[in-house]
Amino acid sequence: MASSAPSTSATRLPPAHDLGATWSFLEPGIELMMTRLTEGMTYQRYMELYTVAYNHCTSSRMASPASNSDLGGLGAGGSSKSGANLVGADLYNCLIRYFQTHLAGVRKGADSLTDEPLLKYYASEWDRYTTGANFVHRLFAYLNRHWVKREKDEGRKHVYTVYTLALVQWKEHMFKHVQTKGRLVNALLKQIEKQRNGEVIETSLVKKVVDSLVSLGLDEVDTNRQNLEVYRSEFEKPFLEATELYYTNESDAFVSQNSATDYMKKAESRLKEEEDRVELYLHASTRTKLIPCCDTVLVRRHASMLWDEFQTLLDLDKAEDLYRTYTLLSRIVEGLEPLRTKFEAHVKRVGLAAVEKVAGANADGLEPGAYVNALLEVYRNNYNTVMASFRGEAGFLASLDKACRDFVNRNKATGTSTSKSPELLAKHTDALLKKSNKTSEESSLEDALNDVMTVFRYIEDKDVFQKFYSKMLAKRLVNFASSSDDAEANMISRLKEACGYEYTSKLQRMFTDMGLSKELNDNFKESMAKTHDKSELDIDFYALVLANGFWPLQAPQSDFSIPTELLPTYQRFERYYAAKHSGRKLTWLWQLSKNELKTNYLAQKLQFQTSTYQSAILLQYNTNDSLTLEELMSATGLNEQTIKPALAVMVKAKVLVLEGGDSYEINEDFKSKKMRVNLNLPVKAEQKAESTDVMKTVDEDRKLLLQATIVRIMKSRKTLKHSQLIQEVVSQVSARFQPKVPDIKKAIDQLIDKEYLERVDGQKDMYSYLA
Amino acid sequence: MVTLTTSDNEQFTVDKDVAERSVLIKQMLEDIGDTDQPIPLPNVSSNVLKKVLEYCSHHRGDPPPPADDAEESRRRTTDISEWDSRFIQVDQEMLFEIILAANYLDIKPLLDVGCKTVANMIKGKTPEEIRKLFNIQNDFTPEEEAQIRKENEWAEDR
Repeated sequence: MASSAPSTSATRLPPAHDLGATWSFLEPGIELMMTRLTEGMTYQRYMELYTVAYNHCTSSRMASPASNSDLGGLGAGGSSKSGANLVGADLYNCLIRYFQTHLAGVRKGADSLTDEPLLKYYASEWDRYTTGANFVHRLFAYLNRHWVKREKDEGRKHVYTVYTLALVQWKEHMFKHVQTKGRLVNALLKQIEKQRNGEVIETSLVKKVVDSLVSLGLDEVDTNRQNLEVYRSEFEKPFLEATELYYTNESDAFVSQNSATDYMKKAESRLKEEEDRVELYLHASTRTKLIPCCDTVLVRRHASMLWDEFQTLLDLDKAEDLYRTYTLLSRIVEGLEPLRTKFEAHVKRVGLAAVEKVAGANADGLEPGAYVNALLEVYRNNYNTVMASFRGEAGFLASLDKACRDFVNRNKATGTSTSKSPELLAKHTDALLKKSNKTSEESSLEDALNDVMTVFRYIEDKDVFQKFYSKMLAKRLVNFASSSDDAEANMISRLKEACGYEYTSKLQRMFTDMGLSKELNDNFKESMAKTHDKSELDIDFYALVLANGFWPLQAPQSDFSIPTELLPTYQRFERYYAAKHSGRKLTWLWQLSKNELKTNYLAQKLQFQTSTYQSAILLQYNTNDSLTLEELMSATGLNEQTIKPALAVMVKAKVLVLEGGDSYEINEDFKSKKMRVNLNLPVKAEQKAESTDVMKTVDEDRKLLLQATIVRIMKSRKTLKHSQLIQEVVSQVSARFQPKVPDIKKAIDQLIDKEYLERVDGQKDMYSYLA
Repeated sequence: MVTLTTSDNEQFTVDKDVAERSVLIKQMLEDIGDTDQPIPLPNVSSNVLKKVLEYCSHHRGDPPPPADDAEESRRRTTDISEWDSRFIQVDQEMLFEIILAANYLDIKPLLDVGCKTVANMIKGKTPEEIRKLFNIQNDFTPEEEAQIRKENEWAEDR
């Protein structure tokens, strides 16, 4: 490189006005920058080149700094005379000619090339050219900053800063030639196909060429803005077409020779590959076109095969394949809907089969626990499938819910009755909460109650459940048979959470009564101890005072003469209570009360657990050894219907012996292995009657609820069409049970009779509310 | 360190960040790479370069110039910082030399300071006063001048 002293260099710079000399000085420098980068350049050479370009662009001002002849031209704008702002056009045109000549040479090198060699040549030339152009761009900083900027500010099109100018020239004089008949892009597509076929390719090469296409998109209006015109039309479009064709052929061939599950694996990995391809060497915006394109060919095209395969996978419980089916079909619009429908049908079928298995031939003898567990297992298995294979997607959860609601309420065990499932569930819950429950460990009870609530959610007739539940709760409380107050309270709060305050208010009240009773008894005992001698209080006594209307209990169906042994205690309590709460009336539910009696007449000292009716009977034998039914009835005041079952248990236990069909004798030789003998056993026939009883009260309650709901709706709406009213009622009531339309109609008619509503004259099917 | 050689063959050695206040020098060093060759500045004389380097040293730590949008607002104001206004208190010839050097070396903030100073000199003066100030000959005919006045009436400060 030249290294002459600065002083001499300044003198050999060409005169600023002389374009020919200026360009002759500049051109070798530009050529060096464009072609022989590695040789480097001295600071001096660089500064000389810059200065010459600078001097030329500022020449008119330099030539006559004090002259004001230029100022006149400024205002007029388009003066053809040499204004300071106009110098540069000649230099700019020299640059254009230079790039064109330069590129003619570059182009020639690509003439005989195709495929990979073409890409290699193109990429390396592109690298060299753009790097060089960047240097030239900076060398002509003054031209860019002033002349080019002024031209653009004045709205001239097709004037660019030097680097952009270089790109424009490349596009025109290089790219267009190598892309004739798609030569360049075809070479790219061939490489991409090779890679899809599993061959190793130089991805950096593909990336470089693709990137150059992105760079060549030049926005005429704003060169800083990215314009993907070239990339889109020259590359992306043929690329997407090639992709579609490639995968159509490949997937069709694969499907004809492989199973659906294998195909899913293949499609999954292909989709992943294409996602990666975008990262690897495509413009990011292509993702939104490439992926839908692949989805269409790889998934949509074979969707019906996947839908068909789904049932098999469900039957075999293939979690992974199900997940794959889900993820693939979730890629296409409406891809999942057929799966949801099939899944719903599947769950329903499995549920019905499970119930049929436990119900067996005899639906009546069905054990509630087994029934509930069968429901739960189906729910749980399929819930797991939804979570594991369908990502807990809401649509599948809805299908699961629909199917569960179906088979929980209508199956082999329920027949046509919608009250069977709530009854069985209530019974199962009762068994869990009773003292006799073996799995009373706290955590497992907690889980068991969770399970109850899971099934409960699906129960349609929640009011039936409530009836059975409250009946059984009453029994547990009255008999002190609850395993724990905490568990009871826990269950009630869960029901409250699920169905609201109203649903559980009676249950809650029953619970409260138990606590109040305890307090009352304590106070009673204390008070009696103060006023009575110990010998008078020789009977242990505990009374539950239960609010009428909250408890599903009924007054006794028989008269009863209180045995003299119990009478003082009875009277003391009546007095005590009347004094405490004047005006309240106690109804004694003798049929529910029970006693413990100690025997003195046997060789063994035994304890009989009896109902109070049985006690009354046995106490008669303190003075007699044999009594007729007649005599017993008159002594106890009990009617035949009530006394017979009480006697029957004692005869069966051989405490009493029936002689001559009418005479009951005390068995003085009675023996027992246990010290405590329970004579207070439920009678089978009673249980059966109970279910039908419950249903009777449920029907009553439903009629009332329907009427109340209709009145509430009409009160707020004043007038309403028949069909709308029905619709409203159904939607409001269905949280409790599924109302039948004829029942609603009947309720409406009753309300019209009672003059809560009337039909609007002249308008068909229209009701109005009567205040 | 970077060595700069002026048109009158004097050498100045300064820290690289001072020299790189000139975008020209900064970009050349980026493109060609660092060497210990001196950098010739054939368009700048030593007394001017001294002034310019004084400016560059003072402003060596300044943040990079703002983007194009902010540039507009920068140009509209004629405010000059205290240090800069003291710095630019030079005779008219030196003022123009500094402007030319800033233009050549591509030091935008310095170019602004120079141009704003000239603008402040012109502000509030009649054409005749301005002609006198810069030693400009009036070559307009009275008709031309009337025409120009009419065209620029909107800009008159009344």
